[in-house]
Amino acid sequence: MSLVNLSHVCSHLQNASKARLGLTSVPSSNMHLSVLLALQSAGFLSSVTRGGLQPPPLDNLSAYIPEPVTQENISTRRLWLGMKYWDNQPVLSEMKMVSKPTKRIWMGSEGMGRVIRGKGEGEVKGITRPGECVFVSTDKGVLEIRECVERKIGGMLLCRVV
Amino acid sequence: MSVSRPARCVLSAPSPSLRLCCRKFQTTPKLSGRRRPAPPNVKAVDMGLITTRKATREVYKLYSEEEENARDVFRKYNDNEKAALAQRYTPSQLEAIEAGEEAISPADLNYDAVVRTDIGALKYLDDFSQYRTMLDKKPEEDTPVDPNARLMTEEEFADGYVDWQMKIEKLQDPNLKKTDPDYATKKRPNRSDIEFRAPFEVPISVGTDGRHQTPVLSTFQPSRRGLPSKEDEAIQKIDLAAEVDDRDPDGTYTKLMKKTGMTLDEILNIKVKILVKHNVSNQTRLGKIMSMYCLAIAGNEKGRLGLGQAKGQEMENTQNLAKIAAIYNMRPIARYEERTIFGEVDAKVGAVEVKLMTRPPGFGLRCQHNIFEMARAAGIQDLAARVPRSRNKMNTVKAAFQALTSQRLPDDIARGRGKKMVDVRKVYYGGRV
Repeated sequence: MSLVNLSHVCSHLQNASKARLGLTSVPSSNMHLSVLLALQSAGFLSSVTRGGLQPPPLDNLSAYIPEPVTQENISTRRLWLGMKYWDNQPVLSEMKMVSKPTKRIWMGSEGMGRVIRGKGEGEVKGITRPGECVFVSTDKGVLEIRECVERKIGGMLLCRVV
Repeated sequence: MSVSRPARCVLSAPSPSLRLCCRKFQTTPKLSGRRRPAPPNVKAVDMGLITTRKATREVYKLYSEEEENARDVFRKYNDNEKAALAQRYTPSQLEAIEAGEEAISPADLNYDAVVRTDIGALKYLDDFSQYRTMLDKKPEEDTPVDPNARLMTEEEFADGYVDWQMKIEKLQDPNLKKTDPDYATKKRPNRSDIEFRAPFEVPISVGTDGRHQTPVLSTFQPSRRGLPSKEDEAIQKIDLAAEVDDRDPDGTYTKLMKKTGMTLDEILNIKVKILVKHNVSNQTRLGKIMSMYCLAIAGNEKGRLGLGQAKGQEMENTQNLAKIAAIYNMRPIARYEERTIFGEVDAKVGAVEVKLMTRPPGFGLRCQHNIFEMARAAGIQDLAARVPRSRNKMNTVKAAFQALTSQRLPDDIARGRGKKMVDVRKVYYGGRV
């Protein structure tokens, strides 16, 4: 549950889209996987694939079956992410942590309602830029903040993505 | 003695070779020794997600090496493609397409018909086979001038024309009869001869070496480089110069009208304002040379805004130049409901940071005067702005322009993410907003 590794993922994805990478990888962990799947369902990533140190076959990303995880190879498992581009511009251009490893921020659905309406709540700034998303870790998994408000679920705010 | 440099550093000789021989006090390998190579990434260009200038260049480089490869790029139509073309084109058009394919070598096409992407390529597309008097520099004369060159007199021209006609008449089929249904097209000289061949083949000027088919006098641009003749443009130029409007007696906007194709009414309807004006000086060994700097904005109040800068000695002239540049540089500004901007935008020029914020209907333009003027010229009615750091006027205006033009549109975001997007306000008000 360390947020340090998640902040590394945030920085890495920002760097990857600035470097115009098509497929990149991050260390595999359950937390990373759930955040990245939430990113994929929000449309920021084209694919999330399990794999090792070498990229999976590009022509077979969806049907590719990774080798099973064992005691020996678990440390080298990575998540391979397909980056998205539209009009030669990256779809994901900015990704920042809201909670920090030393200061986690939890919020109820009412506070989140204020955030998605563009008002601030506590030290969390409101969502003002078009297409901005905040991902929240809840007991129902990692959800987008709007979905949390809709389902009235509170949780820990993880990261903010534009 | 610091903690990071223990005493043994002082005791040991300072040469680096000795330091390398130093005994290690721990078994952990160095960080550089422990570091594993990073897993490789795949570039978006290689996956075909984005296009770059370099990538296109590489493709052309690959295929320009051999003619056989060139044939692959500019290969001939196969039977399936021809069948598809036949649905669209008539048989005679298809014949023309095939004849064109026969006439042009794929290797030549590969060499010439390439959009240049190398380092010397221009940043814009231009057709160099066309010469446009207003935009292009006058080509230099690189041949010696014939002192005896002159336009023909009427008699000389008539003689030349008759000679040309007789030459064409010889090409006529001797068996052609007047009863032939295609007599008009088959007889020589026919209409196409007179319209298309005569302008290029009938001599119109005389030089030391006899008749010339192209004008050699400097009043007309010689078209010996395959450029079209300039008579029409010259006449048009004279017409435009002759026509002086009362509202623009000095001809300030004449050049702009020609460049943009706008009428004087359209130009005068544009709201133009000088926002920044100050003196600048160039220090030379002769002293300071003062000149004036102007920054103007131009907007049609319907979502177009331009920024123009000019520097010069005279005030009025400089201001006019800045205004003209502003009109010429007008660009579309995205407006939500034709009253405000999309979301929040930031821009930074120099030390000036500008943050523009969207606001609800009836909010008004609550922002500093320069941004207020720009919003008014662009036709934005609801806007808030912050200029948190430096407030240099010139850079504020430039940053606000950059912010207005760099808005990300919700449609683009939705298409990038593959999401369906609905404007809730529009749905709620039944499309009446």
